[in-house]
Amino acid sequence: MAELQSLWAALLAYVAAGTVAIIAVAMGRRPERSVLALITAGLVLHTASLALRWVRVGYGPFTTLFEILSSNIWSLLTVFVLACWRVPAVRPAAAVVMPVLFMMMGWLLVTNPGEGHLPATYDTIWLYVHVATGKIFLGAVLVAVGLAGLVLLRAVGVAARRFAALPEDAGLDELAFRFMVLAFIFETLMLIAGAVWAQDAWGRYWAWDPLETWSFITWLTLAFFIHLRVTLALRPRLGAVMIMAVFVLAFLTFFGVPFVSTAPHKGAV
Amino acid sequence: MGMEVSLVEPRTARAAARRWLAALASLKLTLVFLALLGAGVVATYLGGAGSVWLLVLPLALFAVNLGCAVITNGVFRRQTALLTFHLALLAIVLLIAAGRLTFLKGQLELSTGETFRGDLTQFESGPWHPSRLAEISFTNHGFAIDYSPGVKRNQTRNTVSWNDESGRRRVAVIGDQQPLALKGYRFYTSFNKGFAPLFTWHPARGPARRGTVHLPAYPIHEYRQSREWTLPDTDVAVWVMLKFDEVLLDPARRSEFRVPREHTLVVRAGAERRELKPGERYMLPQGVLVYEGVTTWMGYNVFFDWTMPWLLAAGLLAVASLAWHFWNKFAARPWER
Ligand code: HEM
Repeated sequence: MAELQSLWAALLAYVAAGTVAIIAVAMGRRPERSVLALITAGLVLHTASLALRWVRVGYGPFTTLFEILSSNIWSLLTVFVLACWRVPAVRPAAAVVMPVLFMMMGWLLVTNPGEGHLPATYDTIWLYVHVATGKIFLGAVLVAVGLAGLVLLRAVGVAARRFAALPEDAGLDELAFRFMVLAFIFETLMLIAGAVWAQDAWGRYWAWDPLETWSFITWLTLAFFIHLRVTLALRPRLGAVMIMAVFVLAFLTFFGVPFVSTAPHKGAV
Repeated sequence: MGMEVSLVEPRTARAAARRWLAALASLKLTLVFLALLGAGVVATYLGGAGSVWLLVLPLALFAVNLGCAVITNGVFRRQTALLTFHLALLAIVLLIAAGRLTFLKGQLELSTGETFRGDLTQFESGPWHPSRLAEISFTNHGFAIDYSPGVKRNQTRNTVSWNDESGRRRVAVIGDQQPLALKGYRFYTSFNKGFAPLFTWHPARGPARRGTVHLPAYPIHEYRQSREWTLPDTDVAVWVMLKFDEVLLDPARRSEFRVPREHTLVVRAGAERRELKPGERYMLPQGVLVYEGVTTWMGYNVFFDWTMPWLLAAGLLAVASLAWHFWNKFAARPWER
């Protein structure tokens, strides 16, 4: 099937991009354009695979674990490439971002690519608003994770020579903070869209189901982080650790909770 | 001189008040309250229903903290967007509180042809809920639901009618994303629906009564289509079961929710057991029970919360002002050395 073949090809391009980015750290080179070109090529193939599947099954990649992992790898890399394009200082973060995605790709390879069923409550524009804002949120956090990762790698002395050429910690930290703020804005939008949708679909806008609870906790953690920085003049390394913590929370909320709990959020029955 | 004293005293009092305000407005307290709220959310979540105070207390402290900060902290006077954002947050907290005091959330069931007259099977509501449910009525005219292979439910289309403010009859189809909104109450169809045998009960004395029995939800309780109920104005317990052989919702194909074409109704009163076809009757010492046939019932959720549009507005205002604040703040690019 062309659908799976183009997915394989896309994953190969991503793996090549990640490998180049990681080796470059060790060698002290800056092949950033090649890395971006490879990711972009992967994205083109991946887009084709997602589109073919969408046409075949008749709905978007929203329901099965396979679809959600695949579309998130796609959206995370899309946000990353856009960030690299608009803000060149983000580019070295590829060495941190790609290994995170390798983990998701590995997981994707062992999930069942079979079809799901689009619940009746998914027939609404709010699905698209909710999913799109959620994907931008997670993508922005991932870019911040990449930058925070650079700060932490430098702190433990990895590839010191190469990293010395990057902006100082304070600069990376400020840049990472801006992506966290972007993430915060989009997470707020995601929660609002989700509440509007839940009101229509289940007759209540908020009911503390596991997914709602955990995404609210992630939101609170982000608010805490933003305030911590303003109030206590957080040092970059501590800030980097906070960013990692937010990412872990957000990641578990996205990919852990919906597949562990059987709460109404799966839209079943 | 008395005048001097009275001039000094209010000044110290005002200074003390100002010190208090400043202390309550501390941004370090904000961090503590954010952490408290997070802990409250986790505790409520892990502890099931838990105590609402775990959420209410940190939110109240939060509101005080924010209120004092808005009054005393110069940052807010200089940065309108930041002020707008935090005021929107404050408004959200107050609206949620108002919503919890006045909301209503409940369930009801209506057979096809039945009219809602304000009775809920269960509900919870805030202490100040201004109940107007008794003023509302609408009629359920039946529903259609199609199922994808694997008995996966698709759209619900439920026809309802009611009289609007001017007394004109109105008809609409409601469903999964489309509630019926009457006097601030929103009625939603739900996955909870099933079969409803229809009876007429002719008691030995007194007028005849017509009514339905709602069997357990279908297809969730596919293999438990029975229920016990009591004949009106008697203490006779009757057990009924809907018996049919057809496959209504075929896992292998698309299908539509419908009542079985061929069926019998098993009726048991005491030790006696009878199988009735539509139109058949069952004689009891207390009267005659006529089985009229089977129809359907729909379970509705009803929700009342007048704060919803205001919450949405406050939420959108919060996002817009937050974006505005950071747009201003991020004009500088310190990493470009
Ligand atoms: C969940 C609740 C809250 C959220 C999400 C939130 C969010 C924010 C954000 C995003 C900023 C901008 C930070 C920046 O400019 O870098 C901020 C600043 C500020 N917040 Fe909050 N806030 C919350 C609650 C509060 C409360 C309760 C107070 C009351 C003390 C407060 C007081 C302030 C102040 C004074 C600033 C200005 C800091 C500065 O720019 O120097 N916030 N807050």
